[in-house]
Amino acid sequence: MKYLIAVLALLVLNLGSTARVSAAESHLTIEAALDFNVAEPLIRAFEAAHPDIKVSYHDSSTLAVDRRARDGSPPADVYISSAMPWQVALANQGRAARLDLPEARQWPEWAKWRNEVFGFTFEPVVIAYRLDLARHTLPPQTHRELLQALQIPQLQGRVTTYDPESSGVGYSLFQQDARYSPRFWDLVAAMGARGVTPEATSRAMLEGLSEGRYWLGYNLLGSYAIAWARNHPEVIVQVPTDYSLVLLRTALVARNAPHPRAARLFMAFLLGPKGQHVLAGQTPLFSPLDGVVGPWTAARLRDQVGDHLYPIPLDASLLAFVDPLRREAFMRRWTREITILDRTDDPRPSPSNTADQRTARPETPWPRRPTTPVHSSRETQP
Amino acid sequence: MIRRGHSLKRRLMLWMAGLTLIFGTALLLEATLSANREADRVYDGVLDDAILTIAEALQWQDGRPLIAMPAAALQILATPHEERVFYALLGARGEIITANASLPITARLQKKVAQQPVYRDIDWQGTSLRLAGREFTSAGWETREPVQIWVAHTRGARNALAHDLVARAAMRFILMVGLAIMLVWLAVRASLRPLTRLRHRLRQRHSEDFSPISARVPVELSELVNTLDQLLARQRESHDRLMRFIADASHQLKTPLAGLQNISELALRSRDHEQWHEALKDIHAGASRSTRLAHQLLQMARLDHDETSLATRLDLTALARERLTDWAQRPASAMHDLGLEVPDHPVWVQATDWQLGELINNLLDNALRYTPPGSVITLGVEETDSGHELFVEDNGPGVPPALRDSLAQPFVRGDRHDTSGSGLGLAVATSIARSHQAQLSITTPDSGGLRVALLFSHERHQRNP
Repeated sequence: MKYLIAVLALLVLNLGSTARVSAAESHLTIEAALDFNVAEPLIRAFEAAHPDIKVSYHDSSTLAVDRRARDGSPPADVYISSAMPWQVALANQGRAARLDLPEARQWPEWAKWRNEVFGFTFEPVVIAYRLDLARHTLPPQTHRELLQALQIPQLQGRVTTYDPESSGVGYSLFQQDARYSPRFWDLVAAMGARGVTPEATSRAMLEGLSEGRYWLGYNLLGSYAIAWARNHPEVIVQVPTDYSLVLLRTALVARNAPHPRAARLFMAFLLGPKGQHVLAGQTPLFSPLDGVVGPWTAARLRDQVGDHLYPIPLDASLLAFVDPLRREAFMRRWTREITILDRTDDPRPSPSNTADQRTARPETPWPRRPTTPVHSSRETQP
Repeated sequence: MIRRGHSLKRRLMLWMAGLTLIFGTALLLEATLSANREADRVYDGVLDDAILTIAEALQWQDGRPLIAMPAAALQILATPHEERVFYALLGARGEIITANASLPITARLQKKVAQQPVYRDIDWQGTSLRLAGREFTSAGWETREPVQIWVAHTRGARNALAHDLVARAAMRFILMVGLAIMLVWLAVRASLRPLTRLRHRLRQRHSEDFSPISARVPVELSELVNTLDQLLARQRESHDRLMRFIADASHQLKTPLAGLQNISELALRSRDHEQWHEALKDIHAGASRSTRLAHQLLQMARLDHDETSLATRLDLTALARERLTDWAQRPASAMHDLGLEVPDHPVWVQATDWQLGELINNLLDNALRYTPPGSVITLGVEETDSGHELFVEDNGPGVPPALRDSLAQPFVRGDRHDTSGSGLGLAVATSIARSHQAQLSITTPDSGGLRVALLFSHERHQRNP
């Protein structure tokens, strides 16, 4: 009965919209932390399926997406971001609309929260290195091997990873890493000893690798890295074989969306078989749905790299990461650990002797270098 | 004669429906209340767990509280129902240490939570939340300050649980009612079966069958069956009496009629005027006996079915005097010594005067018939301790005690067949006594003979003089 009413309502809405080609409903604003050239096939396919809706797509950083969702200036309809904790926090504050769509109901439980936030991709987090590294040491396949590889002096100044300060994704990934193993901090200390260069985006890291500035990158988004490695043979992508985090890029419809109908149609498309088919075939984002056929699917990825893929759970525990005090504590520890081995080349750091070392260290944690923008017109995505 | 009442089954079902409605409403209300309480109890425990988990992560450093908000606490708080979760940690002066929402925690609540944990339903930004707070005194190296931990979540899981509990209670109730209706229906059918059996048995009965109903019935019906049995027994008695009466009456009427027939036949054969005259005298006597007999039979019938005569207040002495005067003038009493023995003041009783008059007539008639000439017959009224007594006494031969009890039955003449009489007199007297609720006693006085007395006892007759 309820379903019938919903169908009738949709019918009425459809009739109404076709009759007067409503100007208000013919637009859809998407604010996304996702490169337009990556998302373009999706958007084009949606526009082809709904020719009456004109999509305006704006891509920016995760923090910018979050800012716009909060300020709403001007409000967008759909927000897409890879910073899962911030997206969940938006929903927790009641800024996301609950979607009562068949596609939403059928979406796997582990990849959605409250039927408000939907993880629509399945992106592994990877290690990337230059072939040069293989000449000096065994290329790392696990986190332990990565720690060992960091011992070779040739890597000094040629290591890169996310900047947790400026990148929401990077911060979330490190938090998740720290949750899994306390030895993560050894890794941070070792990277710090090699003079790690923090970058705000995966693309910046990949460009540095191709240019030869970096030999080793840690915690890159697999979706970008794998696509990049196809065109840049000097870059090798390794999905860690002990454990590999998987990031779900999330989408939500704003509660105050100016075009709710178009937003719902877009979500139905994105989560439905059509959108997922485009995702699996024409973008490197990997479809989390079983039964979708294409080169970029979670099922295919599992076949290739094995069973040690650990999706970051999309639930309320992510809210802890955005707690200001926890973030502050994490950043303090990060700052401490990354500089702990500055003075010595001791590969075996111990967190207990931090106090006296800290007092003797300079204030700046690591040398910052300006990151070159990739697009002149747009902000870059992580 | 029997009003058609409601169907027992329908009435029972109506009662059941009414009770179900009342109890059902009460039960649902109670279930809703208790389900909400239960849901709050369960999920308040979840709030407690979350608070304790957060408290566990709380540490003091450099004079200020530090906390890496535990993900587990928020996961617990969210419950599998994916609630929206909120928390706030407040310092000693109510300042926010960390929070993910500006929860409406008033100064009053802050003061209250210092004493004991607080649980509240609150409305916040159009959402109803369950809020819980607790204060912890944690010790650091530099400071010892209390920290208040407040957590809240939406009510989705609670509502779902409460709804589930209510639905289950309602389902149980409906099942129970269904079962009860079925059982009651069966019980009613089973309980009414003896009634049906009884009906069948009564219907099949022969109209002359007055034997007790020997049906197995439940205790509740046994009284009815007993009453029916008693009624039947009384009917049989009355039926028997009637039959005996009819038989006796026809026998009694047959004798004088046969005598008349004989005399008239003899007279018809004769040509002698003298004999005709004799025969006519005999016929006259026989006819008057028959008339008297018929008169008495009529009286009996009238008494048995008289329901219209009203008792009035009358003076026994006056009645006795009037009757005696009447009888003293009749030729039948010429050979006897009739006397009156009454007090010199009126004696009042409730009675029907014609019936009492007939009673006296019968008793005097009997006394005159069954006593030899010259006997003394006394009609009197006496005031005794137990009541007023109207009596007729004679000094004749009397009746042997063994036969006395049967005197009151119709056509029994106390072993005396030498005199003319129907044997109905005392039977009529007994009937009259019964209709006056007075006691008829037949005794032998000290002087010999017979004394028949009618006692109006005080308890019955002097209450309304």
